[in-house]
Amino acid sequence: MIFRHFLVDVNESNTFLVACEETREALLVDLGAWDPAIPAFLDGHGLQLKAIFITHDHYDHTDGLRDALAERDPVVYSGKGCVGGVPGTRVAAGDTIAFGRLRGTVLPTPGHTPEGVSLALPGMVFTGDALFAGSVGGTSSPDSARLQLDHIRQHIFTLPGDWEVHTGHGPSSTVALERDANPFFN
Amino acid sequence: MSGGTHYAPLHCDAPGCDAFALTGAHACWKHLDDRHAWRAGLADRDLNAAWLVGVDLSGADLSGWDLRSARLSGACLKGADLSGADLRDTFLDGADLRDADFSGANLEFAILGGADASGACFHGANLQRANLVGTRAHGADFSGANLYYARPGNADLEGADFHDARIQRTIFRRANLKDADLTGAEGTANFENANLEGAAR
Repeated sequence: MIFRHFLVDVNESNTFLVACEETREALLVDLGAWDPAIPAFLDGHGLQLKAIFITHDHYDHTDGLRDALAERDPVVYSGKGCVGGVPGTRVAAGDTIAFGRLRGTVLPTPGHTPEGVSLALPGMVFTGDALFAGSVGGTSSPDSARLQLDHIRQHIFTLPGDWEVHTGHGPSSTVALERDANPFFN
Repeated sequence: MSGGTHYAPLHCDAPGCDAFALTGAHACWKHLDDRHAWRAGLADRDLNAAWLVGVDLSGADLSGWDLRSARLSGACLKGADLSGADLRDTFLDGADLRDADFSGANLEFAILGGADASGACFHGANLQRANLVGTRAHGADFSGANLYYARPGNADLEGADFHDARIQRTIFRRANLKDADLTGAEGTANFENANLEGAAR
């Protein structure tokens, strides 16, 4: 597995690249900007962008889609059919996204947005703005906040403790760290 | 753009062991036959994104090493010299970092959550966006360090020295800063529910 983290300028958001070493097919998670470093990395490593997974429909996670789609031909997956003003494929809890020999599983993490989703791959999970290192995403109501915490407990904290948690902003973490020390849960 | 990670660890050769083998070995730390030889050979290896979970490198001289994106979860680095090391995106969660020297090191996006860094020196280190969730760092020296948007939520930082540190957007939510020195620290931080008893500001 090839893994790469990009910090993009739009609201200091994170973009992650995961690729299959054998087939060279790559997936991006969130795309606040089509930072030149991203196509440079793809081309420099002989990778084909097959998919973009959007955790939620906020500009700082989607603003790079138009530029990316002008250059490449990936399928855009999200919890909504259309994100960032571009058409995409709607996914729901339990759906699988395949690229090369890798398989990601969609997990439901609503709250920060109603259609918020996370993506689990072996050894890691991408949570967008649902779960941060030591924090959680902002919500619009107490009900949304409860919904978010409940789904994190049910779908993220039940993953193996040593799995990496890669978030929409700020540093990465592990499942065990967040389960045991995140102030919103402890 | 921060450092990259290349995840392709092999499984440990030991029968029944489901851990990954260390970079440059066929076994995990627990099942490594000749730890001394493996440790001696480290200096010649490319350790960028290395798998180093649970290793004992206590007291080692790793100053200036490139350990970007390495996975050092649960490692023992007690008293190690990591001054000037490149530790961007490095996983040090749950590691024993007591009395280690990180002065001038680059720890941007590093994960130190759950580690014990008591007595460690981070003087002048780059800890921007570092994960310090639940980190224990009694009496640690963060003077002059850059903690922009770092996340020491629930961290135990009793008696730690933050003088002249940059703490803009640092999230000290529920951290224990009892008797910490924050004099001269620059920036607006989040101290929600933090314990600031006896802290100097």
